[in-house]
Amino acid sequence: MVSLLQEIDTEHEDMVHHAALDFYGLLLATCSSDGSVRIFHSRKNNKALAELKGHQGPVWQVAWAHPKFGNILASCSYDRKVIVWKSTTPRDWTKLYEYSNHDSSVNSVDFGPSEYGLVLACASSDGSISVLTCNTDYGVWDAKKIPNAHTIGVNAISWCPAQAPDPAFDQRVTTRSTAVKRLVSGGCDNLVKIWREENDRWVEEQRLEAHSDWVRDVAWAPSIGLHRSQIATASQDRHVIVWSSNADLTQWTSSVLHTFDDAVWSVSWSTTGNILAVTGGDNNVTLWKENTEGQWIRINYESGTAIQSKQSSHHPHSHSQQQTQQQQSHQQQAPSHPGPSSDSEHSSNLSNSQLSN
Amino acid sequence: MPPTETLRLGERGGAAAGSVGGAGIAGGGGPEQTYIIRQSNKCYEHRDSQATAMSVDYSGQWVLLAGRGYLALQRLGQDDGSLRRHERQSKYEVSVAEFAICPSRKEYCAIATSQNIDIVRWGTSEPIYENSLRGHTRTVTDIDWHGKDPNLLVSCSIDTFSHIWDLREPRKPALSLNAVCMSGATQVGFNRVSGNLLAAAHDGDLRIWDIRKGSCPTHYITAHLNRVHGINWSHKRETCLATASQDGTVKYFDVCNPRRAEKIITTMSPVWRARYTPIGNGLVSIVVPHLGRGENSLLLWSNSKQTDPICSFVGHTDVILDFAWRPNRESSTEIELVTWSRDRTLRVWKIDDHMLKLCEPAAEEEEPRFEPDLSELRVPTPPEFLHPRTLMVAGSLPISTGDGACNTLPMARSPSFGGYCRREESHIARSLTDQPTCSLHHEFSLLNTNMPHVEVDMLDAIKRYACFRICAGGHTVILQVNFATSYPSPSAPPEFQLCQGTTLSSEVSGILLKVLRCNALQRVKKSRTCLEQCLRALVAAMKKKVAAVGGGGGADRSQLLLQSPRLEGALSSALHDACIPYPRTSGVHFNAIGMLTTFAQPVNNKRLTLRQHSALTPRTLSAINGSGLLGNVMATAQRDANASFYLQERMISGKPGKQRAIRQMNGSPVVHVYDASSLLHISRNMAREFSLDKLNIAETCRRNGEICRQHGRLDLVPVWLLAELIATPQVRHETLNELLFYKDPFKKSLLESLIMHYAGSGDIQTAVLLACLFDKCPTGGGALMDIASRLPPQLNAQISPYHTVLPLDVKSSSSSPNTWQQLKQLRSNSWSDSLDLEVKHLQSDGYAPCSLIRRAKVPLFDQFKRAYAEILFGWQLLSKRALILKHTQNTPPPVQGVEFVTECGTCAKPKRTPKCEPCKRPVLFCVLCRLPVRGVANACLACGHGGHMDHMMQWFEKHTVCATCGCKCLERTSELLALLN
Repeated sequence: MVSLLQEIDTEHEDMVHHAALDFYGLLLATCSSDGSVRIFHSRKNNKALAELKGHQGPVWQVAWAHPKFGNILASCSYDRKVIVWKSTTPRDWTKLYEYSNHDSSVNSVDFGPSEYGLVLACASSDGSISVLTCNTDYGVWDAKKIPNAHTIGVNAISWCPAQAPDPAFDQRVTTRSTAVKRLVSGGCDNLVKIWREENDRWVEEQRLEAHSDWVRDVAWAPSIGLHRSQIATASQDRHVIVWSSNADLTQWTSSVLHTFDDAVWSVSWSTTGNILAVTGGDNNVTLWKENTEGQWIRINYESGTAIQSKQSSHHPHSHSQQQTQQQQSHQQQAPSHPGPSSDSEHSSNLSNSQLSN
Repeated sequence: MPPTETLRLGERGGAAAGSVGGAGIAGGGGPEQTYIIRQSNKCYEHRDSQATAMSVDYSGQWVLLAGRGYLALQRLGQDDGSLRRHERQSKYEVSVAEFAICPSRKEYCAIATSQNIDIVRWGTSEPIYENSLRGHTRTVTDIDWHGKDPNLLVSCSIDTFSHIWDLREPRKPALSLNAVCMSGATQVGFNRVSGNLLAAAHDGDLRIWDIRKGSCPTHYITAHLNRVHGINWSHKRETCLATASQDGTVKYFDVCNPRRAEKIITTMSPVWRARYTPIGNGLVSIVVPHLGRGENSLLLWSNSKQTDPICSFVGHTDVILDFAWRPNRESSTEIELVTWSRDRTLRVWKIDDHMLKLCEPAAEEEEPRFEPDLSELRVPTPPEFLHPRTLMVAGSLPISTGDGACNTLPMARSPSFGGYCRREESHIARSLTDQPTCSLHHEFSLLNTNMPHVEVDMLDAIKRYACFRICAGGHTVILQVNFATSYPSPSAPPEFQLCQGTTLSSEVSGILLKVLRCNALQRVKKSRTCLEQCLRALVAAMKKKVAAVGGGGGADRSQLLLQSPRLEGALSSALHDACIPYPRTSGVHFNAIGMLTTFAQPVNNKRLTLRQHSALTPRTLSAINGSGLLGNVMATAQRDANASFYLQERMISGKPGKQRAIRQMNGSPVVHVYDASSLLHISRNMAREFSLDKLNIAETCRRNGEICRQHGRLDLVPVWLLAELIATPQVRHETLNELLFYKDPFKKSLLESLIMHYAGSGDIQTAVLLACLFDKCPTGGGALMDIASRLPPQLNAQISPYHTVLPLDVKSSSSSPNTWQQLKQLRSNSWSDSLDLEVKHLQSDGYAPCSLIRRAKVPLFDQFKRAYAEILFGWQLLSKRALILKHTQNTPPPVQGVEFVTECGTCAKPKRTPKCEPCKRPVLFCVLCRLPVRGVANACLACGHGGHMDHMMQWFEKHTVCATCGCKCLERTSELLALLN
């Protein structure tokens, strides 16, 4: 089901920490401990189109802005800086903005929904979150800081998708422009916090407690308009937790997706918000999908070969581990197949079974 | 050895008061001091011993003195005073030595040097090294044995960790407590009652851990403003502890109530230790005078009275380094205090019944007055009178053992007075040669001994010098640093000397020395320690020199960075890494159109980490190496291209075995790009082929089903068959429109549940196609259609079947007057009753005209369409996207910038439409052809003349001025637009 399009040798001199495709899937940005960000053509394994140098330490994460603002990329680094890059051609990148008002490593960056304009959130180990807003007409950046967002440090940040106007009321421009901006952040205090912008200030709206160790990644699921929200959080405690709420975002219920063998540090939602990709310290990439009973099942993608990460030679047993896990997921999946169903359900089962074969 | 002796201080105190009273500082007052002065019962002198740590064993017979390179035992109770000395191999000072406190392990002791802890068993003659506990990455600062379990001990270190060790499993800590803070742990202590709680001090803060739950502290106590030097748990109450701090206070805390201290003892000088008496209700503290007058300051306090000490122990002529309780195993009412001072004497003090009684809460008030034999012990001095005495001491410079009696330091109570004292003291400090080594000791203990390129040869806090060997840039430098006694005061930077063995020319040496002095001065100016900064600067400068020879520019940068004040703090404490998460070695990311990127790298560095004890990936970056990454990052401007960031430190430290690991990192990291869109049930090819032709919906459904079949989405074929059924008229003569308008609740709900199902299960493509296909039908020939399409949209929404007079739309504020007028208009002339009825009928079941979709669902489905449109945008199928967006009730985005609005000539109201509905006439006429404009129009922003865009373009191709008024339209308009921007 998942087909390999390209294998790209990044030629980074050190460990890669993040890789992200742009909106169109044409350009790939990678960042590494060698302090550079590299841009590749996603369909050709050529040399890097560009190498962006500006950081003096490991670069932890990159984020692409919505293409309506142009080709814009943000990177954050151990050197306490956030750099926003802009390109005119894929080979030609310039520094658009540099933000260096954090006192410790900046661990995560995320561009907000395009409806809010060009806005970037940064999470730092100094415990604060910065929200950088660009006035695109004048090219002026405005920074707002949430101090002491998490004691010890903030590890991850993610934007809530732009809220659909409530259909109960009229849905003209006025309601759209006043849509509430929200952020979710995870930190070293084992907490996940939801922030809401209120009169130009960011206030803590919710505090989600379930993890027993550092939260390493948070991801707010993209919304296609259904009246529910989901947040996936990954933690050092080896759990991935999916938090769900109804449209008003007041009550959050947690369900543990899975307990992994090692710390989990990265989660990513698919565009339609129904598939979650997870990876962690064991370097295995897994894909998860919620079935109709609300259970999370692991998706078997083409007999484990297509997406399986390259294993390090130090873990000779991890192959077998993965296989047993897959078998387990088969067994878990099995009960969901039979049973009476209406026409429409039947067809969805068809698609499910295709997935697992 | 003088026997216990109590001195009367009345006369002396009085005399002192007289002399100082003359100076006009203090008011006299009757001499009435209320505490005991006591001298030691025994004194052992060890002139040749430079022990830095002391401990008393369980039996109370042996005292262990440990210093650099040796351990020594002194037997108490035997007057020979000889020391059993045992050499040991270590170039580092012993930071802590502790005898086990459980009887079953009474011959064991733990000795910490640098990062390691040795467990030593005292055999009959020789110390036997049982284990070495390795796990800390920086200097171990404190050790404490568990009071109940003989196998457990806890150690804490500058690396911020507190490790709990089980001696049965000595290879790794049984539990690691990660404080995750900027400051290292300086003190640690097990609870004496239960042994489950544990307190660790990090600068001024305490963290209370429960060892049954080691993931995070149970309590945080912001105890002091300054560094905590001593923690001691109460022997009686489980949750109580006392802390001694640099800020000159001893605080009693109950960990259940961590917000405020229960009681506070205030002294003028930093308190080094504070310990509860094992029996009774007392507490003994060591005060270290700021600038180290050689006074002793060992005080016994009652726990219920913080204003005055009960007793002062005098005799030591120099700073007391540590003290311990010597348990008396025979008598439970008597204990002895063993102290070790820098004057190299070991003293033993008896704490007898009397003193302990004084500590009792009730006794404190009454007993002095009613017990005649005790009154003799007391030197009457009023509390206010204590200050002048201090002053007197300060004024009379010579400090001798004999004078020690009046050196006991009471607390400061009046601020003005305290200030005066300090001034006096600083004056003395300059004149004294014998300076405390406390701060230097401290700096040495904080020094990162694993600094790249730097080897520590010698650190001597007593002789106040240090030696380093620095190898960088192909040269070796032997650096000797001498610290002045007043270091680190602004005027006293350390002296740097390059000794024999340095392989640099004198010219380069001069530059390096300059760099060192500059750096030292910058720090010392602010009274900060400078050693580590200087060493880092030196390494950077040496590398730069080499780079300069090699023609490399750009290395200046590292120098600049080093001097930036912002980073300075961070360089000194590379502990920042403790709160930075461990770097990801693998990652996964979905982009907006369902493409997936993944990467994973072998994690060789896992094996290199010393601190990693479990199979789990560590959580912090500091696990990679104990020493600061940041310093490394900043200092090395150019890095070896083949060296990994994480392996570099290890390489430099010269472990050849590790270099192989780097080679094992085969090649550079690889990123895989996958197309996962089929997992998300979306397909670009299908999106391109799907049709939304509404002339024959049934036919369109069939075609879409065929497309699904061709692309292997067999699961979708039945759905399109269903859709085809929905679109097929059931009754023979039913027209297409009637089919859509009327009845068939089954079709409506089937369609709705189909759409919701696909949206819910993530197949947004199918959901949106269905929603679009059955949404609006622009076709149709019936009269109904015409009416419906003629109705303005707001009206449609508001018409209720139960009102004969149509309601006013209050919500749509901007257009409401128009609508109202329009309504009147419509009602007044052309509407027949029958049409009205039709409209009502049409609206009655809440369905949008020409649609099988319920009106209530329209906004939701519009959201689906927008989400799908965004995916189409990502696929760059722009026309398909536009087609989908046509099916939304999308209001256009608000106009930004300049807008051209025409005014109706009749009613003089601004209109945005080509025609004024109430006046029934067009509003805009072209200035060139004089015909009304219905389509695209352009106009000059200055004079307002305009018309059909085509005509305007033709006109201005040849002309520059307006056809009507001669205005320079192009210029003026562009000027205005420029102004607006």
